[in-house]
Amino acid sequence: MGDSTGDTGSSMHGVSTDKTGKYDLPVDLEDRATVFKLFSFAKPHMRTFHLSWISFSTCFVSTFAAAPLVPIIRENLNLTKQDVGNAGVASVSGSIFSRLVMGAVCDLLGPRYGCAFLVMLSAPTVFSMSCVSGAAGFITVRFMIGFCLATFVSCQYWMSTMFTSKIIGLVNGTAAGWGNMGGGITQLLMPVVYEIIRRCGATAFTAWRIAFFVPGWLHIIMGILVLTLGQDLPGGNRKAVEKKGKVVQDKLGKIMWCAVSNYRTWIFVLLYGYSMGVELSTDNVIAEYFFDRFHLKLHTAGIIAASFGMANFFARPAGGYASDIAAKYFGMRGRLWALWIIQTAGGLFCVWLGLANTLVTAIVAMILFSLGAQAACGATFAIVPFVSRRSLGIISGLTGAGGNFGSGLTQLIFFSTSQFTTEQGLTWMGVMIVACTLPVMLIHFPQWGSMFRPPSTDPVKGTAEYYYVSEWNEEEKQKNMHQGSVAFAINAKSEDGRNAPSTITV
Amino acid sequence: MAIHKILFASLLICLLIQSSHAATKERLFSDLEKSALEVTATPSRVGEGVGVDKLSITWKVSSTATKEPEFKAIKVKLCYAPASQVDRPWRKTENELFKDKSCPHKISSWSYDPAMKAGQSFDYTLERDIPTGTYFVRAYAVDTKDHEVAFGQSTNEDKTTNLFSVQAISGRHKSLDIASVCFSVFSVVALLVFFVNEKRKAKIEQSE
Repeated sequence: MGDSTGDTGSSMHGVSTDKTGKYDLPVDLEDRATVFKLFSFAKPHMRTFHLSWISFSTCFVSTFAAAPLVPIIRENLNLTKQDVGNAGVASVSGSIFSRLVMGAVCDLLGPRYGCAFLVMLSAPTVFSMSCVSGAAGFITVRFMIGFCLATFVSCQYWMSTMFTSKIIGLVNGTAAGWGNMGGGITQLLMPVVYEIIRRCGATAFTAWRIAFFVPGWLHIIMGILVLTLGQDLPGGNRKAVEKKGKVVQDKLGKIMWCAVSNYRTWIFVLLYGYSMGVELSTDNVIAEYFFDRFHLKLHTAGIIAASFGMANFFARPAGGYASDIAAKYFGMRGRLWALWIIQTAGGLFCVWLGLANTLVTAIVAMILFSLGAQAACGATFAIVPFVSRRSLGIISGLTGAGGNFGSGLTQLIFFSTSQFTTEQGLTWMGVMIVACTLPVMLIHFPQWGSMFRPPSTDPVKGTAEYYYVSEWNEEEKQKNMHQGSVAFAINAKSEDGRNAPSTITV
Repeated sequence: MAIHKILFASLLICLLIQSSHAATKERLFSDLEKSALEVTATPSRVGEGVGVDKLSITWKVSSTATKEPEFKAIKVKLCYAPASQVDRPWRKTENELFKDKSCPHKISSWSYDPAMKAGQSFDYTLERDIPTGTYFVRAYAVDTKDHEVAFGQSTNEDKTTNLFSVQAISGRHKSLDIASVCFSVFSVVALLVFFVNEKRKAKIEQSE
């Protein structure tokens, strides 16, 4: 019989304590899968993967659902360009805070409840969009819907309970990329739903309101599926799991200081703001841009805008994969170069997009820009796990929040005022991407080097072990709190490039 | 690599086709004959709302019109006054006719023959998708190639006189509001029911 709570407050719903537990996939000592079987729905690992990315994607659908319908909404609510821009900023700002809170929620209630709570409690915000009657209401509702983007955190957290750390990069990258696809799906879905409702007889200004019920229902459906089909833990020996939960009793203050005092954290916050951030901004403006500039129909603009977000399907995992290949030959220096090249290329294509005068060039530029920006997201999170071992969670959270902050800032500067036309805004955003990617050159790991400097030859300070263990002070080392970092440093030898040992044993 | 070459070549061809298309669309508003038509528009009930309010519109060919033999059709449109264009670049007035977005709402069109010089007078009920704003009415005269040759409008050249305002429908309905509240409540209640139920089941199991 299962107990009511397992590791760190997560529920034992669905967990079998049958120790002969046969899983569909091979597992490690903590019952986390060591293999990633994409087209399986088997309990519990792959089922969790699919529940997780689909609910994250649903939140992207509802957060950006207004964007392709703006040409109708702006007439109904008598919005100015500033109102439309401010609503876009609002839609990405809410989750800056909610993503930070979600980490704590996952620790207290577990990722299953974290995800379900957020998805079902944000359903009312989506439904309330149909009652909006002016700019203030529109901006407020978009702000509230935006909170649900914190499912990113529950998604990644849930994956790390289900999949072993060797493949967690690929798993998380795929889950995040497919989740982000929701921003593209919505650009197709909402105009089509709107058209259907219109043809059934509703007037334009009522049809868009009814259309918002669709993402609202998706929230409810996904919430119920997560509650009924999901489980926090793969199962297995509860005592072993509980014991592990007691080993790493680290202090929040120390972890925070460790994250905040590492300059690399802040460079990644900036970088992600100009890869993920510009992706979110573009999700908000691109459909309206194609509608206005090239005189297209609403659903045609939606199809084009959708291809921007849908590229995430392969672009983000591809970025992570490219980083892995660069690391194989050139180690961490290869990863840094790959990130700089991909993100800068994305920025240049964004400049081209703003300058494009014809529809075909604009579409080509947009697709190339999307590949660059999204692959850069994947490449960013291929490096972030190496910045710190002790504070990985917080650094990931800060980087993620940086993405939203960058998006809000970019929309505020370039897309909310009459100072720039949208095409000028896109061009300047591209310039800003290139400029804000330059700080990658400053990231230096003593053990692996940086883009222009080789690794340190100091026999003590130039080792991975020194780098990761120096996050702990003497007192903590005496309590053996740093052993995880030592093991991590050994595994991280893969970042030495061609000099890396071919097999790593712990 | 052959595929890359083919893709690159087709991209170049598309670009060339596109650039050649763009060259033909440069008919300008300033080239049209002004005041060739005299247009008046009178709202019947001020500020009652679309779908109900009517505009009484008349147009006739002005005695000073010189391009009258070219007229093949008259198109009457509802246009935004400058006050409704502020901070709204999607309603901007442009000189190039194909780019101009200030007159997006079609009212009606009439085939023209010289016998119609005295003009037409008709009532137009405002459509339900007309947004709130200040408007005037403009009539374009087009030739056989469907190109505008002349126009007339119900306001002066600076668009300051004889403007009328329209109040749009909100699009909201009581039934929508009620449905939205119902689904929202369902979502929150379903979540709480699941949560409480599970905690209760766990407590029962623990006490067994």
